[in-house]
Amino acid sequence: MTPLVFLAALFATSVMAGATGAILGLGGGILLIPILTLFYGVDLRYAMGASIVSVIATSSGAAAAYLRTSLSNIRIGLFLTLATVSGALVGAGLAGHVPVRALQLLLGLALGYSAFTTLRQLHVEIPQSLEADTLALRFSLDGTYYDAPLDRQVKYRAARVRQGFAAMFGAGLLSGLLGIGSGAFKVLAMDYFMRLPMKVSTATSNFMIGVTSAATASVYFAHGDIHPLLATPVAIGVLAGAMLGTRLMARLRNTTVRKAFLPVLAYLAASMILHGLGIELP
Amino acid sequence: MTSWAVERAVARVLFWGGLFSVSLMLMGLCAYAARDQPHAWEGLRTVQNRQAGGDVDIFTTLADVRRGLRQRPLEGLALATLGLLGLLATPIAGVAVALVCFGRQRDRPYVVISALLLAMLLVSLALAGGV
Repeated sequence: MTPLVFLAALFATSVMAGATGAILGLGGGILLIPILTLFYGVDLRYAMGASIVSVIATSSGAAAAYLRTSLSNIRIGLFLTLATVSGALVGAGLAGHVPVRALQLLLGLALGYSAFTTLRQLHVEIPQSLEADTLALRFSLDGTYYDAPLDRQVKYRAARVRQGFAAMFGAGLLSGLLGIGSGAFKVLAMDYFMRLPMKVSTATSNFMIGVTSAATASVYFAHGDIHPLLATPVAIGVLAGAMLGTRLMARLRNTTVRKAFLPVLAYLAASMILHGLGIELP
Repeated sequence: MTSWAVERAVARVLFWGGLFSVSLMLMGLCAYAARDQPHAWEGLRTVQNRQAGGDVDIFTTLADVRRGLRQRPLEGLALATLGLLGLLATPIAGVAVALVCFGRQRDRPYVVISALLLAMLLVSLALAGGV
């Protein structure tokens, strides 16, 4: 592959990863790392460094647009990021002292169960509101956004805040222990536990992943794992893709976003269970 | 100031911070390629195999970046790395702006949440040690 073709292919891949990440609330690492290593022969550490940069670029591009349109909820984002970052700090401290495989297996099974329940509520456009949660009232964890496909303002309020906060802490813990991103877990906690509309969940996750990844990225930078020749085309492509993704998301229904999210959830569950059983994927 | 106003202020920081940082990265990459094209292509090969060549400088500290920026002709990769650091700092700046906005609103719970989050992020950066 000539350098120019390599750069063009890298840019196209990054645009795709950015658009997907913006819609699904993921950093894009789940797509980028396997593609960069398997198809482009990129060194794994550089691929991981580029992936963490892509998370922040996706977040900057997508969260800015989602915050402007109130699809991303800053209060919910900050409240839950507090749990994730605390979990990540504790996880980083515990690394090497906890049975990671058992944890992965447990989490994989929990994700598998969540994928099953998500499948059952695949056609739920706006979740039915449960009784008012005291923490949601205390911290104003509610909002309104204009839903273009439904052509109306959608009001929502977070439910089961304690469970959502605990799930976010768990996601952060895992992030700190295993050094993985946790965008999918954030979306799941907001969609499944807190009963937020799917689009609000993915849009708010986009804001959160940027904040949580900023601290992690400095570790990669200090270790020399962020190669500017790789990170630059990836960041440009991902930023462009994220902006494209936000435009697409405005036209999508919550059910469509949930349908697109389900395979990611299933893949993550399978991957976690296999890792937990000691079976390495190629 | 309403929640909407805070969201607008943070959105502006994320958008312009991201765009400005990525522009610096692009300018740095162009400067690097323009300076010595065969060398630049060789540098790209190291991306695919870390052991393939050690002649591409990867800056890992702010002091290295500063040194690269002072060089004449300009070290393109130092400029790209400066943009990269700007990108990493953008979400943290977003939280700082949220803290200021909530402070102006006298929204005490969110001042505490934003301040705690900012403190934890800064601790994480300090623990990372590189920046």
